[in-house]
Amino acid sequence: MSEWHVEAELAGRYAAGAVTPVLAASIELHLVGCAPCRGLLEVEPARLDRIWDEIVEEVTAPRPVLLERLLRRIGVSEATARVVATTPTLRGSWLSGLVLVLGLALYVAHASPRGTFFFLALAPVLPLLGVAGAFGLDPAREVAGATPYSAMRLLVARTSFVVATTLLPALAAALFLPGDHEVSVAWLLPSLAMTTLSLAAAHWVPVTHAALGMTALWVAICTTHWIASGTVTASLAEARVLQAVSLVVLVVAGASVVRHRQDAVAEPRRLL
Amino acid sequence: MSTTREARTIEAQGLVRRYGRLRALDGLDLSTGTGVTGLLGPNGAGKTTLLRILATVMPYDDGALRVLGQDPRTPAGRLAIRRSLGYLPQDAGFHRGFTAFEAIDYVAVLKEHTQVRARHDEVRRVLGEVGLTDVATRKVRALSGGMRRRLALAQALLGSPDLLVLDEPTVGLDPEQRIRFRELVSEAGDGRTVLLSTHQTEDVAAVCSQVVVVDHGRSLFAGSVADLVAVAQGRVWVDETRDPRAYAGWRLADGSYHHVGDPPAGAALVAPRIEDAYLLLLGPGASREAA
Repeated sequence: MSEWHVEAELAGRYAAGAVTPVLAASIELHLVGCAPCRGLLEVEPARLDRIWDEIVEEVTAPRPVLLERLLRRIGVSEATARVVATTPTLRGSWLSGLVLVLGLALYVAHASPRGTFFFLALAPVLPLLGVAGAFGLDPAREVAGATPYSAMRLLVARTSFVVATTLLPALAAALFLPGDHEVSVAWLLPSLAMTTLSLAAAHWVPVTHAALGMTALWVAICTTHWIASGTVTASLAEARVLQAVSLVVLVVAGASVVRHRQDAVAEPRRLL
Repeated sequence: MSTTREARTIEAQGLVRRYGRLRALDGLDLSTGTGVTGLLGPNGAGKTTLLRILATVMPYDDGALRVLGQDPRTPAGRLAIRRSLGYLPQDAGFHRGFTAFEAIDYVAVLKEHTQVRARHDEVRRVLGEVGLTDVATRKVRALSGGMRRRLALAQALLGSPDLLVLDEPTVGLDPEQRIRFRELVSEAGDGRTVLLSTHQTEDVAAVCSQVVVVDHGRSLFAGSVADLVAVAQGRVWVDETRDPRAYAGWRLADGSYHHVGDPPAGAALVAPRIEDAYLLLLGPGASREAA
């Protein structure tokens, strides 16, 4: 082994960070086993602290998950991306379950003459269940409820993304339904109306209760219709009166949400 | 009362919280200032309900309450309290797929720590405070029960809040961790207000400057630990045999029996401890209920 040592001038450049990475690596390898050369290095403690801090930050700082990175890319703030990415019903397990359920509903729609009705009854409640789970399944909701983060902001942010990620696959599945495409999307307006109504109702009752209550109401309406009409058609979803009512509910509930959007802190337990 | 002092206190009068017909809080009074106040009481006494109300996650039905000089019934008051609050709930949960660092970082986001680097430094600080630095990158699901409890305590310490509300913070901690916890809480109580509920009378004796005994939604006692112990003065004795008239009695290591209650004439009285006073306040049969 040669008797190469780090000269004072080189040690100074290394300490100042003014050498190439390859040379720096070579110097560091030598420094590990050469105390006299280590003694040449006069690195100010503050700089060492800064370097150490950077290393610790690099090792421990959270790695944004895929959803978080996507949200940041479309301009969502770091804080909002983080609270949205923690939504239980935006995680892979929920989305996989959603795809499975939609696949099953599609299969039933093709396999049975009553299948389309089943799909149209099921699809509108999927966003509602997603919204209910977004808060009801959040293990940190008690801690979150005692923080100054705007509860309404959290609600709207999570709901928006849950609805988007639920409706898109549901709409895609609806395109493969047998029969008229107009019928296939007839559930969309009632679904949006009920979800928005849940959001608006969150001003008075916990959003989980509101969403589950709306789900129960929709199932009751569908079942009643089925029993009363004795038909297996999609007439309920097609009904003009239902579409009109849904539109009115959507507008009124939407206005209510907008009106209460400034609620920095809602009544305890109402939102979460 | 000066504004500064009021800004560090909790004042509750006649606090009522109902769950249907059950009155979890039944006209509870509470007055605390800076320092550590311990809430003692059996299961179902109303401790958790009280702490949840103080943490602004639950409304109350009747009574008057000021927390740090703020009214929790107004949106502005709640926001001000939450900005000065560290809350450790009884069932603090975290996303199990998060690392310990991510779990605390998420709460820091909710606590308005918007500067990323400063927030990460604060997360590291609180993880260090509870001795979890070495497991910062470990998933929550891989942490032991005691570590998760310390993690929950870490999130409460974020931002060094003026008010710490801790619901049974020592559950699941081993003796060494409990001693470390006592150090932490003692430091936190210096100039700040800490309210903690516990079943561990020794925790109260070790760290609390004030103690409040709660039962059936009411405050049975409020004062210093010494005042509480004094309640049992002259009402604790030892005997060779078990005295059935005692409120509570148990066998000691030397084979004699430690009794709490109304001593018979000529009984060998001994110096009371905090748990003796606690049992006396709860009355006959309390030893079974509070166990």
